[in-house]
Amino acid sequence: MKVVTGVVGNDIHVVANRLIDLSLQARGFEVFNLGVNTYLEEFFDAAVETGAEVLLISSLNGEAEGWGREVKLLKARYKNLDELIMMIGGNLTVGSGNAEDIVPKYKGYGFDLVCHQVDLNTGLDQLEEFIAQRKTQ
Amino acid sequence: MSNNEKLLIDVGSTYFKVSTPGKIEQHFRDFNKDILDDLMSKCDNSISRFNKEDVFICSSANGGLSTLIIGITNSFSLKYATNIAFNAGINIIDTILYQDIQDASIPSDLIDVVIIVGGINSLGNIFSEELYNYLSKIQYSNIVFAGSEKDAALIQNNIEHLITLPNIIDSKLHIVEDHLREYLTNLYQKDIEGKRDIKNLYSITANQIYPTPYIVNKTLPLINARFSVANPFILLDIGGATTDIHYSKDLVDENIVTENQYDRMVFKKLGVYKSKQSLIFTAKNNEFVYELLMHLKVTENIFLEQSEKATKILMQLAIFLVLCKMSHYRQAYINLKLLAINSIVLTGGITKVLLKEDVEDIVSFFYRKILTSDHNPTTIMDTNYDIWTLAAEDN
Repeated sequence: MKVVTGVVGNDIHVVANRLIDLSLQARGFEVFNLGVNTYLEEFFDAAVETGAEVLLISSLNGEAEGWGREVKLLKARYKNLDELIMMIGGNLTVGSGNAEDIVPKYKGYGFDLVCHQVDLNTGLDQLEEFIAQRKTQ
Repeated sequence: MSNNEKLLIDVGSTYFKVSTPGKIEQHFRDFNKDILDDLMSKCDNSISRFNKEDVFICSSANGGLSTLIIGITNSFSLKYATNIAFNAGINIIDTILYQDIQDASIPSDLIDVVIIVGGINSLGNIFSEELYNYLSKIQYSNIVFAGSEKDAALIQNNIEHLITLPNIIDSKLHIVEDHLREYLTNLYQKDIEGKRDIKNLYSITANQIYPTPYIVNKTLPLINARFSVANPFILLDIGGATTDIHYSKDLVDENIVTENQYDRMVFKKLGVYKSKQSLIFTAKNNEFVYELLMHLKVTENIFLEQSEKATKILMQLAIFLVLCKMSHYRQAYINLKLLAINSIVLTGGITKVLLKEDVEDIVSFFYRKILTSDHNPTTIMDTNYDIWTLAAEDN
């Protein structure tokens, strides 16, 4: 299965990005890593060019908060991305915040899976479960 | 034979320049005459002194090839193909995002080359009937496919005379430019040679006639031989019909990673002679232009004048508009980091009209008003056409 990943916005947390890339590969995913400082449009465009089924955005400095609001609007411009699994993970707020508030907010932005301050492997387990569920539907 | 014994000729859309070891002549073109006749009537003495082997000509006079690129995303296939086309010397590029092809306008003019791109090689079924329907409505001379390998055979079966090249996107979403660039460069070359006006020039040269942008791009790595240019820099060639921008790759944060040190882009219909009306139209639609005119102590009536002063103002406006076009997100197909520029080099006819101070005035106005910054890159004027002669001599 193909996954597009990268760090959104003006965020250069490359170590986490690399770890996500390696962990996804270890689980058998074909990874297209756009690296750090990635615009939202590039994520969707990469999904179109590769035919990826999953988009996994990471963010550590809280910038996702701003970019997240644009997701629905931008995704709506694409004609063939309705089935794309949308996942976001990392530190998803500026300063402190709790998952009970943050997760529903990002789901409202259009993400299927939201992992705020969740361990990487736990997050990827959730992704695999979600994919398995989707297949049975 | 030493470099000093070469005769260099550059045929532009408005002027031609002739460089002999002793001097550089610049002449306004007579559009009622064939280029060769025009050249010989004005520079016969200089030209007849040289053997055909020592005459080197470049030209941008025919405006280059018109190109239509059909791709599936702005950030990858369309951007990569546009980058390759600009670097191959092409000026006129229109793009269509494939998902919107049903609503795309049908160009009435003959297109020199249509380029179809999109998808990594493992992705198939990207293009369908909509593509063939659209292509059946337009007129083109050449068509090339440089997209997903999986779709190549199907597309080949559906489009006559299609040339298939290796994909410009590799499996890591990186650009692969060599094949398409070589194809377009050769096509451009054939186009130049095919124009009757240019063909006639082979009676005075035994050497290949190159596109001018190709020659300028070759100069950039050598630029410090003649000028003190601090990297990163941009080179603006504001011509009669179009504006060429050559820029250090350090100025882009884009996802295009190539070995080129310098890339090129073009703003078509932004020139001070053939495209004058289009330039004025663009100026009138820019909210800062009236403030700039006030700063230059003129009114918009200057657009109606045919004076030396009017030409000078028009050239200053052109510099401002080019910088503006590069400063706004997505106005050009890539974004340049204008605050990182250390030098702005100007070449072409503009350097014969404007003084260095005139250019510096505009550049600092632009940075202050548009980017609200005191950043002030140094201005370098290529008043003696060294940019062009440097590469032509090296050739």
